[in-house]
Amino acid sequence: MARFLVRRLAGAVLLLVITSMVTFAIFFIVPRLAGQTVDQLAAQYVGKDPSQAEIEATKEKLGLDKPIIVQYGQFIKGIVAGREFSFGPDTEYCPPPCFGYSFKTQRPVWPDLVDRVPVTFSLAIGAAVIWLITGVSIGVLSALKKGTIFDRFAMVIALAGVSLPIFFTGLLSLALFRPTGVNYVPFTSDPLGWASNLLLPWITLAFLYAALYARLTRAGMLETMTEDYIRTARAKGLRERKVVTRHALRATLTPILTIFGLDIGLLLGGAVLTESTFSLPGIGRYAIDAINNQDLPQVLGVTMLAAFFVVVASLVVDLLYAVADPRVRL
Amino acid sequence: MRRKAALAAGLALVLAITACGGGGNGGNGGTAEFNAADTSIVNASTKAGGTLNLALNDDWDSIDPGNTYYGFAWDFARFYGRALTMFKPAPGTAGLEVVPDLATGLGEFTDGGRTVTYKLRPNVKFEDGTPVTSKDVKYAVARTYARDVLPNGPTYFVDLLDAGDYPGPYQQPDLNQFTGIQTPDDLTVVFKLKAPFGDFDYLAANPQTIPVPQAKDTGAKYQEHPMSTGSYKVDSYVPGKEFILSKNPNWDTSDTNRKQLLDKIDVKLKVNAEDIDNRLLAGSLDADLAGTGVQAAAQSRILSDPNLKKNADNSFTGRLWFFVMDEKVAPFDNIECRKAVQYATDKVALQTAFGGPIAGGEVATTMLPPNIVGYQKFDLYQTPEAKGDIAKAKEALAACGMPNGFSTKILLRSDRPKEVAAGEALQQALAKAGIQAEITGVPSGGYFTRFAGAPEYMHANNIGIAFHGWQADWPTGYGFLQQLVDGRTIKAQGNTNVQEMDLPAINALFDKAAASTDVAERTAIYGQIDRAAMEHASVVPFLYAKGLVYRNPQMTNVYIQYSYGIYDFSQVGKQ
Amino acid sequence: MTSPLDAPSTAVAQPEAVLQGIGRKAIEGRSLGQIAWARLKRDKLAIAGGVVVILLIAMALLAPLLTKITGGSPTEFNQDLIDPTFSKPKGDGIFAGFSWDHPLGVEPRSGRDVFSRILYGAQISLLIGFLATAVSVVLGTVAGVIAGYFGGWVDTFLSRTMDVFLAFPLLLFALALAGVIPDSAFGLSGNSLRVAVLVFIIGFFNWPYIGRIIRGQTLALREREFVDAARSLGASGRWVIFRELLPNLFAPILVYSTLMIPTNILFEAALSFLGVGIRPPTPSWGKMLADAVPFYSVAPMYMVVPGLAIFITVMAFNLLGDGLRDALDPRAR
Repeated sequence: MARFLVRRLAGAVLLLVITSMVTFAIFFIVPRLAGQTVDQLAAQYVGKDPSQAEIEATKEKLGLDKPIIVQYGQFIKGIVAGREFSFGPDTEYCPPPCFGYSFKTQRPVWPDLVDRVPVTFSLAIGAAVIWLITGVSIGVLSALKKGTIFDRFAMVIALAGVSLPIFFTGLLSLALFRPTGVNYVPFTSDPLGWASNLLLPWITLAFLYAALYARLTRAGMLETMTEDYIRTARAKGLRERKVVTRHALRATLTPILTIFGLDIGLLLGGAVLTESTFSLPGIGRYAIDAINNQDLPQVLGVTMLAAFFVVVASLVVDLLYAVADPRVRL
Repeated sequence: MRRKAALAAGLALVLAITACGGGGNGGNGGTAEFNAADTSIVNASTKAGGTLNLALNDDWDSIDPGNTYYGFAWDFARFYGRALTMFKPAPGTAGLEVVPDLATGLGEFTDGGRTVTYKLRPNVKFEDGTPVTSKDVKYAVARTYARDVLPNGPTYFVDLLDAGDYPGPYQQPDLNQFTGIQTPDDLTVVFKLKAPFGDFDYLAANPQTIPVPQAKDTGAKYQEHPMSTGSYKVDSYVPGKEFILSKNPNWDTSDTNRKQLLDKIDVKLKVNAEDIDNRLLAGSLDADLAGTGVQAAAQSRILSDPNLKKNADNSFTGRLWFFVMDEKVAPFDNIECRKAVQYATDKVALQTAFGGPIAGGEVATTMLPPNIVGYQKFDLYQTPEAKGDIAKAKEALAACGMPNGFSTKILLRSDRPKEVAAGEALQQALAKAGIQAEITGVPSGGYFTRFAGAPEYMHANNIGIAFHGWQADWPTGYGFLQQLVDGRTIKAQGNTNVQEMDLPAINALFDKAAASTDVAERTAIYGQIDRAAMEHASVVPFLYAKGLVYRNPQMTNVYIQYSYGIYDFSQVGKQ
Repeated sequence: MTSPLDAPSTAVAQPEAVLQGIGRKAIEGRSLGQIAWARLKRDKLAIAGGVVVILLIAMALLAPLLTKITGGSPTEFNQDLIDPTFSKPKGDGIFAGFSWDHPLGVEPRSGRDVFSRILYGAQISLLIGFLATAVSVVLGTVAGVIAGYFGGWVDTFLSRTMDVFLAFPLLLFALALAGVIPDSAFGLSGNSLRVAVLVFIIGFFNWPYIGRIIRGQTLALREREFVDAARSLGASGRWVIFRELLPNLFAPILVYSTLMIPTNILFEAALSFLGVGIRPPTPSWGKMLADAVPFYSVAPMYMVVPGLAIFITVMAFNLLGDGLRDALDPRAR
């Protein structure tokens, strides 16, 4: 168990390091290849109408004049141990995880990012509940009733579901059911408003994933039902219901769980398209704004957070495996 | 209720009142009519109480008065701070006038205009009861020198004051080292300028002169609680969420520039544009703070329903949309080729792309918009119905030595749909004259630091045409034009003189205006600059921006403050 | 009895399970191809999908001809058809702007003909969809075969790389990358550069999906008798890969290419929707949808038309891909 955990954690950290390096590279190396100078980069920090002296000062303050490796080292140090920034009369200590200060708002990135988390969590988890229940049950039913009208109908709908871009279904559902748009209200301040506003994004997002999961579940189920042990169980005289729930379903759900871990992890890191379509102020919107503003600290923060969620989600899934499938040894 | 007066009479009345400096204390004013708040005070009332509910699609860059560059933020800062001067709280063009606020009078110019002196009002206190002294004003300006700490605000004081290379109070806390301002006594502030600057009273209206007590300054974190001298004080500011103000008990009640009718002001931040519209129309919101106009859906609801329409205004926002031709990029180094574009441009197509006459604005022919001191109406490149004149464009092309046209590139911000649509419209119009233009879209984030505002980028990529939009830092020809056409403002990045226009004649006119202390003379010079710049043909103004804004009928004392192009929130109350 | 949906039908996301056994040799007498074709012919939905795909390709290729018939142009402004106050097409009802000249209406703001923009948009969608798939397939096949054939640390390294890719917030990276690419680079400029960048980004970020499948297939094939036989006869690694493995991998590559095209079309549409796609005025479906956002309540058809275009295209490819997979899978009854 301990060895497994250590191995998984090491893998998780590695993934985070790679993510940070890739992001760093995209924003520091690619623009430079494209001809952006360090001065122009520094100018983004200084605000409107920067003078050369201000640019020099800013370059020094932010360490932009140092080699990329050193800058990257400082960035990593900030996340692990925090960093000090000079702000007027005081030197401000930015506690870990410190992603620095936004180019545009001059505010620390991390608190702003944490602020967005509830929105994306509400959206992703609410949708996940819906799609897991509907997707998996439709998939199971389809597999059990293979070839019937229900099965064919469900699978055509499911194929349509995976063929529809979410930014289209989102807009369509808005135009049809809520032309005035949705607005996020925190659960703590108004649970009813929270649910009623999120209902449409939930259903839209869940539709896509439910379609995907119905197809996956059905395929997995059909595959499992041909396995020898199922035949054995049936031959043993076990009730069909028990065969399905005890054996087939469990084996089918294991790979689905892996995919679910990845999907939910990716969504928690920002449901970019859904949030854009419904204008929800979540991590995905934050990411888009950060990218449009070329706000490097924000982009780094958001991609790291996104990668972090993926890593955590797949860790949790691995642990759940041990519970769901006794054959998996930790 | 006396506000049932006929509109025409009301309008004349209001103009008369504002002309004698009232600002509307009584029950005189316009009724709720479409566009009434553009020129009159709607719902004039002295009723106290209530909460003003505002919303913003975006957020402040900083609520620190010394560190913000948004128009709405400058308008709103007057709630919690008094600058030396301010724009007259009055509707119509009267609002373009500067009046003293923290000072007892406008600046006194001596030493050939190089010294400007203000006397402070006595008895003005910070919200904690500490009296405001000239040192607090000096300190407020001094801290704007620390560009690494407070990067957002304008740099006019830094550029104009004779302060050597003062690095700001965070590196040099001894204020005696800051020679740009002298404080002979507690109520006198003396600005020392490198060169005369006629519009200085307008600069003094910037929130950068709102006093800041040195003992309370926490640099970039001062925005967590700026010390108020206005009628309201900051209760809480949560970035991305809300900004709440309540009555300032230590406000100097002899202040006639602002009111204290409301109990509370509540601004919700980062609200969906559509949601702002819905709440406005439902009455749960009083106004959109940014005042840029409602979205398409709300627009059609408002314009088709007379009951809603009477609570809406369609006024100039003070912004000009234009595009420029880089004079350093061939073939636009030839004025005839620039003229060809001037004539080929179909301004109505660009207007429609920007949202039409109501949501977009009026077709522009000058650089100065109508609500700016110095505006004169003229059109040097007249075309039928402003839709372009291909024959004249071809003539100009022939004169340029390119009778078959040429090819060039159009630079624009790809995350702005209206600008992209306008770029496509321009591309179409130019093609009719034989000018093939390719569109290059870049993110708005680095537009002035890396792309349009970096001449090197423009030259290296052969970008002939770039879209641009501009709003004055203060509503005079100088405040609007200097950053756009004064050749000495061209810089390697952050350049707003994108066309790289550097004409000695124009530059000299700016100096002449700066040196003049005669308002009429300055105003005339601004008109000359506009004309001279247009004659040079590298700037193509196409839209004086307008927005359809909605005011809750519950709001009292509402009018549009022309200097900011949005409602004057310092005056409003609730019914 | 065969029904089109009989066989397991998974989405692209997790396809390994289904493909096992695709490489197995079919019953003697008829070639795999013949059997597959016979099966495919009976699958009506797959045939319908195939027909739509062929029609779409034809429409995209013939776009200049077709628009000549209606007289529309994808770039020409018709602002006389636009109500200047509301920026939307003149007329009432949701079909405002539809006419014989403009069978699918006109775009808000500019009045451009939607029908021709959809046709020209198909060119971009299909071009990027196909090219990006080609990139993914080449990368994925190379990596998959190498990982599967050589095993050991090579396999571990490549498999981990694929895992990392699958866990990346790809859309964010793609957006960031597309946003910082300069105006001209690698000897390309303008739209050809944009297309190249989009193809690279989409293809490069999606190769692990196909890589994992090919790796699994290669692993299974490597243990098979005919590979063993070839090796024991002294065949070189190259011979085994090119003569024994790749021909047997043809079926899964074909199936997953077909299933990957729609995913890539969706990816391109998403990037365009988010504003980093092809440059204006060249039409793209994703960009049209993004442009429709402010108008979804006043001019809903402008959103519905490109949305349906994406949907029909993606659905057709998915139907064809599902059908192909079923036909090529010997276990499908």
